[in-house]
Amino acid sequence: MVAHALRVIAATAKYNLIMTWRFFSWSGFALRFFSPIMTLGAAWVLYNFVYNSTLSPEFQTAVGSSGYMSFITVGNAFYVFVFAAAFVVGRVFFWERATGTIEATFMTPMSRLAYLSGVMAAAATTSLIDFTAVFVLGSAFGFQISSFNGVLFFSSLLLTSIGLFGIGLITNAVTLTFRDRTTTANSLMILFMVFAGLVCPIEFMPSWAQVISTFLPLTYGVRLMRASLLGTQSIDLIQNIVALIVLGAFYVVIGSVTLRMIERNLKKKALFSVF
Amino acid sequence: MFTRVVIAEAVKSLRIYFFSSRTLFWALALPLGNGLYFYFLYLPFAARSINFEFGQTSFSLDLVGFTLVGQLLYTFFTMMLLAGAAFESERWQGTLESVLLSPANRIAVLFGGALANALNYLWMLIGLTLSWVVFVHVNVVIRDVLALFASLALSYLAIVAVGMCLEALFIYSRRGALYVATLQEPMMFLSGQIFPLSSMPRFLLPLSYLLPLTFGLVAVRLTMLGGATMSDVAIPLSVLVVMTLGFLLLAKLLVNYAERRAKARATLTQF
Repeated sequence: MVAHALRVIAATAKYNLIMTWRFFSWSGFALRFFSPIMTLGAAWVLYNFVYNSTLSPEFQTAVGSSGYMSFITVGNAFYVFVFAAAFVVGRVFFWERATGTIEATFMTPMSRLAYLSGVMAAAATTSLIDFTAVFVLGSAFGFQISSFNGVLFFSSLLLTSIGLFGIGLITNAVTLTFRDRTTTANSLMILFMVFAGLVCPIEFMPSWAQVISTFLPLTYGVRLMRASLLGTQSIDLIQNIVALIVLGAFYVVIGSVTLRMIERNLKKKALFSVF
Repeated sequence: MFTRVVIAEAVKSLRIYFFSSRTLFWALALPLGNGLYFYFLYLPFAARSINFEFGQTSFSLDLVGFTLVGQLLYTFFTMMLLAGAAFESERWQGTLESVLLSPANRIAVLFGGALANALNYLWMLIGLTLSWVVFVHVNVVIRDVLALFASLALSYLAIVAVGMCLEALFIYSRRGALYVATLQEPMMFLSGQIFPLSSMPRFLLPLSYLLPLTFGLVAVRLTMLGGATMSDVAIPLSVLVVMTLGFLLLAKLLVNYAERRAKARATLTQF
């Protein structure tokens, strides 16, 4: 069972990596960095020209000794990773349906979780390139690593990936149920990004936004990543790691159960392709 | 004939878009999320207003309102760019060759898509503005309703015209969608959506002035948040008129060229 699941993961990851890199072009690759460059550039202009480096006094209290551009760069790199990895997983079954292969995929005896894990593994591998590139770009805008904790850094990436995988499962279930194209998945992803504290400390957000942020694994993931790169003094590491594990497990369980129920329902009603 | 094509295309696009009532909810959530994202970008800074200079006048604009108007117009701008994907959708559905074989005016087809998107945008505009006024307390200061209406209408027309120009890319290249999606971010940066043009690095300003979104943002922000009158925004409105005419003419030339080239190379569907 486990060996079979591992084979499915490896095969799916290999297939997806081939699909991704088969049509590689330097222009397409370079264009992917427009978005992070623009976000970093906007933050840089705001910081240096609009507000003349005048940050709120509470900012230092909330994030410790890190500079604004370092804070933004880590958030942005995290966003790129999440977008490239989780976004791909969230739209797997939409694309299966669009390319007419969904019925064949769901007829196979493979584990759905293993299949989606393979997609996630491939997407995460590719997105690590983007992730690293954003840090390199960020250094041009003033990003500096003040202290590096490797264990915490990689743990935060791995644990966040698990949570994102769970969210990807739920997104797939939603996409299969509602016959919209990608609106639901796109909107969900954007909403997750907004409330995770990528561009400002959670404490600065309105209280209702803070409530939403507590339910997102990204909130804890980006906080741990900042701690691993910019210093660990100002947050409770254990509390954040536990929260990330609990939320990750919660989303994976909810996502897999929902996906299974929806698959069964769609099969009964013959709604996979024609609906 | 032109009007009939516009209406038919608009009705078709609206029906495709609103296949479900859930679409309304998610279409609202997306720009609201983007707006909040940018609003949160300002929170680490001490100031809660933004100094907006135009000509000889300086306006102190509410930060929330500044973000809201920026997001509203930018969303509209991206919707118009996506309206340009009308031909891309036809290609996906395998109907592009039939559409381009028909005697329907190409510009009318594009206008129809743009009209549908504008109607979609209208309820979003109202809903978003009301929700931001109620929940985030935007300070709206309107002294000249006619100036605000003119700013919105001319921004709309100029942005539609740019969207039509970009449409040619969808016919011309298989990477049209990629190029258009990629152009969104630089346009957002250069237009002054996130920060006022007075803070823009000088060497980038000439590029900013090529975008109708830049002048639309100036006009709408001043009339909606700064209480500006028609005379205050006469210059950006005049520029928008000129840009609308210029881009419409350019769109006609580009779309005709792309269509001719694609037909000659038989790349309308297979390419």
